[in-house]
Amino acid sequence: MANSLPTEFDVIVMGTGLPESILAAACSRSGQRVLHLDSRSYYGGNWASFSFPGLLSWLKEHQQNSDTGEESPAAWQDMIHETEEAIPLCKKDETIQHAEVFCYASQGMDGNIEELGALQKNPSCVASSTLIKPLDSACLSEETHSSHITSYEVPTQDTPKNNEEITDTAETSVKEEYCGYDTYKHTVSDGTKDEIKPVLEDNSVPPKRKRIAYSQIVKEGRRFNIDLSSKLLYSQGLLIDLLIKSNVSRYAEFKNVTRILAFREGKVEQVPCSRADVFNSKELTMVEKRMLMKFLTFCLDYEQHPEEYQAFTQCSFSEYLKTKNLTPSLQHFILHSIAMMSESSCTTVDGLKATKTFLQCLGRFGNTPFLFPLYGQGEIPQCFCRMCAVFGGIYCLRHKVQCLVVDRESGRCKAIIDHLGQRINAKYFIVEDSYLSEETCSSVQYKQISRAVLITDQSVLKTDSDQQISILIVPPVEPGAYAVRIIELCSSTMTCMKDTYLVHLTCSSSKTAREDLESVVKKLFTPYSETEVDNEELPKPGLLWALYFNMRDSSGVSRSSYNGLPPNVYVCTGPDSGLGSEHAVKQAETLFHEIFPSEEFCPPPPNPEDIFFDGDEKPSEPLGTNNIVMAKLESSEGSKNLESSGKHLQN
Amino acid sequence: MSMEDYDFLFKIVLIGNAGVGKTCLVRRFTQGLFPPGQGATIGVDFMIKTVEINGEKVKLQIWDTAGQERFRSITQSYYRSANALILTYDITCEESFRCLPEWLREIEQYASNKVITVLVGNKIDLAERREVSQQRAEEFSEAQDMYYLETSAKESDNVEKLFLDLACRLISEARQNTLVNNVSSPLPGEGKSISYLTCCNFN
Repeated sequence: MANSLPTEFDVIVMGTGLPESILAAACSRSGQRVLHLDSRSYYGGNWASFSFPGLLSWLKEHQQNSDTGEESPAAWQDMIHETEEAIPLCKKDETIQHAEVFCYASQGMDGNIEELGALQKNPSCVASSTLIKPLDSACLSEETHSSHITSYEVPTQDTPKNNEEITDTAETSVKEEYCGYDTYKHTVSDGTKDEIKPVLEDNSVPPKRKRIAYSQIVKEGRRFNIDLSSKLLYSQGLLIDLLIKSNVSRYAEFKNVTRILAFREGKVEQVPCSRADVFNSKELTMVEKRMLMKFLTFCLDYEQHPEEYQAFTQCSFSEYLKTKNLTPSLQHFILHSIAMMSESSCTTVDGLKATKTFLQCLGRFGNTPFLFPLYGQGEIPQCFCRMCAVFGGIYCLRHKVQCLVVDRESGRCKAIIDHLGQRINAKYFIVEDSYLSEETCSSVQYKQISRAVLITDQSVLKTDSDQQISILIVPPVEPGAYAVRIIELCSSTMTCMKDTYLVHLTCSSSKTAREDLESVVKKLFTPYSETEVDNEELPKPGLLWALYFNMRDSSGVSRSSYNGLPPNVYVCTGPDSGLGSEHAVKQAETLFHEIFPSEEFCPPPPNPEDIFFDGDEKPSEPLGTNNIVMAKLESSEGSKNLESSGKHLQN
Repeated sequence: MSMEDYDFLFKIVLIGNAGVGKTCLVRRFTQGLFPPGQGATIGVDFMIKTVEINGEKVKLQIWDTAGQERFRSITQSYYRSANALILTYDITCEESFRCLPEWLREIEQYASNKVITVLVGNKIDLAERREVSQQRAEEFSEAQDMYYLETSAKESDNVEKLFLDLACRLISEARQNTLVNNVSSPLPGEGKSISYLTCCNFN
């Protein structure tokens, strides 16, 4: 086929996480020939979002990670010339550890399930693969799941021992096959229906709580878009600004986070943060309202009133708040839910600054300072990749790179050798941290992030509307431990099936993810198998399914701690534990300016509706004509208002 | 730019193997050009054409793959919020037809359930080199419950028909949906684009 990869580029980007994708877009936009590769079969690296079956196969892949030492170095060493040296890259991804899965939902086979998923509408990939003989039949082979997935007994009690067993089964039983396009197919084997005794009969369903079975989650698995890194967008943050400026925002849709919650004295409460919230709050007394408004108003321009806080610059923010005539609940709200700072480490000035940032973001798009992208965070890197492709960037997933080729004399990297043994030349190389070998990273110290993903049946704070997007900070129990950030997503964010919530927990790691987060999970949720007992008495939402894992946080690593990287190899880091993506945007912009000091970073592209075609352009090489074509586009665009195109996307 | 000059706006997304003529179909329809200068697609996100159907102005926003299909690396976000998909193969290329199930799987995974899919066999001007019979394609599209059409972007055969028929079907679907969906159920596309939100803020 004519589809072989070109071998000359300006920039090769390895990894499709957020900073790499932004950089790829920026380079392509400024006329560079970009090759963007990912060794994985999906976009986003550790920034990706997965459907439920997609997540299970991702887990499995990470559990089988050890068996990749197959290829011998000889395969590519022949290709290195005498004047060159090779820097081998990493063959396996070790950024995910301690993954543990727990299933609390019953395995009951509900007769209605077949009809529930709108998935069924298009009945027939199975049929179609028989109709047309696929080229590579393995590609399309339908994986029928072994019975494990449905055959284990559901614990009626939540004993730790039981949990362990389930962990094992759930982790090992899910078989996935990568189909041609790496879509994931799941079939729950019908044969197991008779073997299992449904724990719940249909008629035992309590009228108020809809029972959800694990098989339903699997059936509707496509409705889930589960973020590996749980983040939000600050509505005045760098990422939003970049999305708007570059017009990449047209590829995504967003929803406002609707509530800021606090966890205090064992109870979840809503934090009033906007002016309207404060006035409408039923929880606050008149006096409290006045105190809170006064303090927040001061924070908005605290720099103008140094006399108010000068004496406390050496104190912690929490000490300072105590002096401001605020009730304990208000102090809690401000410290944990608005400034989102921890009690011990935050200085007064940092706290004031964080509070001001929060307040400034408020009201730009809605009642809280945050936005969430529909279909999950994983959309965002993809949007930048689309932009890169639109400007001629070439995309290749499932493409491994064996080594970087360095010219001995100049010390600069000049090419990569890919898994097919092909040599691809470029001037600049951008590589994500996890692609680098152990040797390169031997003196690097990584931090870790503890993550949990939960599927639940109710919101942590029920209100009239069941479509809330909430953020909740749970302060650490012991001093010195880390606060846990919880983001609860409803089904209208297109990240989970109807009647469920997707709950993300994140904190900096002290131990394994489960050790760090399980106590918070227990405080807020009840295992689903127990929720049927006396549902009137149970205010806690039921926990259907849980996953814990640790993710490497390479965000703090400085360039100089990598051994022996040529100067024209630039390193991007994985997701950090922060709430926003400011770190990734800053990194991308900094690296872009290091590489191309005189180029503008992601300027607005021409509006497609304003593009004027001459009609007599000669067919030419797609990559060679960037400059000419772009010049043409830009001149026809004139000084178009940035904001004018996005609106048209809405009908 | 305040009052929109159309009654309907639909997002149509093209997919199919590289080289089957997706870009040619779009360019032929929106600009009447063939062949489209390759370089001209750089920087072009989507093409717009406004057509009139029964007195109503319908704006069609037609998205191309930006080359990401070449190495099977289309972003999922490309499929989001599409109202219709045009799945294209080349009647002179068996391979492009054999890949259709893989494309359907992508659609099933990432596109909205309500999306309308049309199967298009392009390049009928090269009939003497045909590798995929019309009958096979018809059977396949029937089994998949898809609308099917053969086109030639080069000769402009059926290209108008393809997009106009699609527009008609989208209009009738949209009408039905507004009747059915007056209940406040969460629907895809309910979110807002940032620019749109920003507009509200600025005005």
